[in-house]
Amino acid sequence: MAVSILKHSPINHTQVGAAVRVPIQSFADIVMARQECRRMASALGFPNTTLTIMTAAISEVARNIVEHAKEGEISITPIGRGPVRGLQIVARDRGPGIVDLETAMRDGYSTSRSLGIGLPGARRLMDQFEISSVVGQGTTVTMTKWVG
Amino acid sequence: MTTTCATALDVRYREALIEYLAHPDETRLERAYGLGRRALADGLGVLDMATTHSQALAAVLAVPDNSSTDRAQLAGAVERFFLEAISPFEIAHRSFRDANRELHRLNDVLENQAKRIAYALHAEASQLVASVHLALADVATRLPPEHAEEIQSARGLLDQVEDRIRQISHELRPTILDDLGLAPAIEFLADGISQRWGIPVTVRAAVTGSLPLTVETALYRAAQEGLTNVARHAQATIAELTLSRSPHIVACSVRDDGIGCDPAVLASSNTGRRGLGLIEIRERMAALGGTLRLVPRVPGTEFVVEIPVEASTWA
Repeated sequence: MAVSILKHSPINHTQVGAAVRVPIQSFADIVMARQECRRMASALGFPNTTLTIMTAAISEVARNIVEHAKEGEISITPIGRGPVRGLQIVARDRGPGIVDLETAMRDGYSTSRSLGIGLPGARRLMDQFEISSVVGQGTTVTMTKWVG
Repeated sequence: MTTTCATALDVRYREALIEYLAHPDETRLERAYGLGRRALADGLGVLDMATTHSQALAAVLAVPDNSSTDRAQLAGAVERFFLEAISPFEIAHRSFRDANRELHRLNDVLENQAKRIAYALHAEASQLVASVHLALADVATRLPPEHAEEIQSARGLLDQVEDRIRQISHELRPTILDDLGLAPAIEFLADGISQRWGIPVTVRAAVTGSLPLTVETALYRAAQEGLTNVARHAQATIAELTLSRSPHIVACSVRDDGIGCDPAVLASSNTGRRGLGLIEIRERMAALGGTLRLVPRVPGTEFVVEIPVEASTWA
């Protein structure tokens, strides 16, 4: 049974451009995911500081895959809601899953200790954030940032 | 933070920046992020990071053949690298902001709970004690006179219970705050202390609008502690209490013209009853992000508490 934690309830949107999938197996792949995110976000007109924020969020979810699941993938999709453009990032792995999501999303739980980085950090950087996990099957993080 | 740690970071940061400027790709940007993440975990602050960055930038600019590089391009690249390095601090900053908001919310919940308990004690427990009083008085009329003393001593104990209940209830949440509001409650408090101790107390309370319950209680307690200290220890002839606010701070000060005090002695833990009261106020302030200061004046002392408040809480 999947458990999810929402930052905001999901809002309907449509895909407005080609999605990119980046397999994540090692720390080197994190760079690739960041690069694609930066390129696509830049094309959508996100300001510099927001690009940094989004790549930081990608780093944290990708790092989570490498450290806990060994392999997974990150897909990045340009989306729209009326005239507003955004980028949706989905990080999916087939790892052990997270037994207690509530605890895992609490600060100070993981190795990133009380600094608030890791998955809780990624949640704070994005406009929307949803995580679901099935023990034995894997974890999916879906997060969105809107332009403006 | 240690010097060796910062030095190792300085070297690695400088190397990474120089490499990034030569090969501006995502691998090197990710390295900047990793350096910032590591620095954060090592306990360094955003200012350490800024200093490390300036030093690295100075080293970059000191290389003469850089003059050929487009300056605007260089500035843009340097900015991107620096943003990466400090973005982990941005995450930490956001998490502390969230935690702080949570803490305030929790404080309000606790204060509301205290308020409910205070009312229950005050209204219900006092009521019960009063009815026991009546029952005892009734029993007394039907007992032989030689038992009068025992009844009297039981009623004495009941009086103590009543006092204690009133005291605890008041400590939890002074009901006068809810009945009158902060400024009148403090004026009432000052009047009482003034009459009991024979020291004239002037009150200037230029505070309007509503404050969070916790802030009101903390200010009331601080005023109580400040005035009681003056009355008990300062040998003052006059005291002045000021309640004031600026857009982001609400403050309460109690100034006297007494014999003065040594703030160091008052701050130490070995000050008996007087110190305990101050420690309690200091803890209350700390929980709200506020401060308590004892400022030596000529003559006397000024006791000042300051609590940050959000501008929007002032209607």
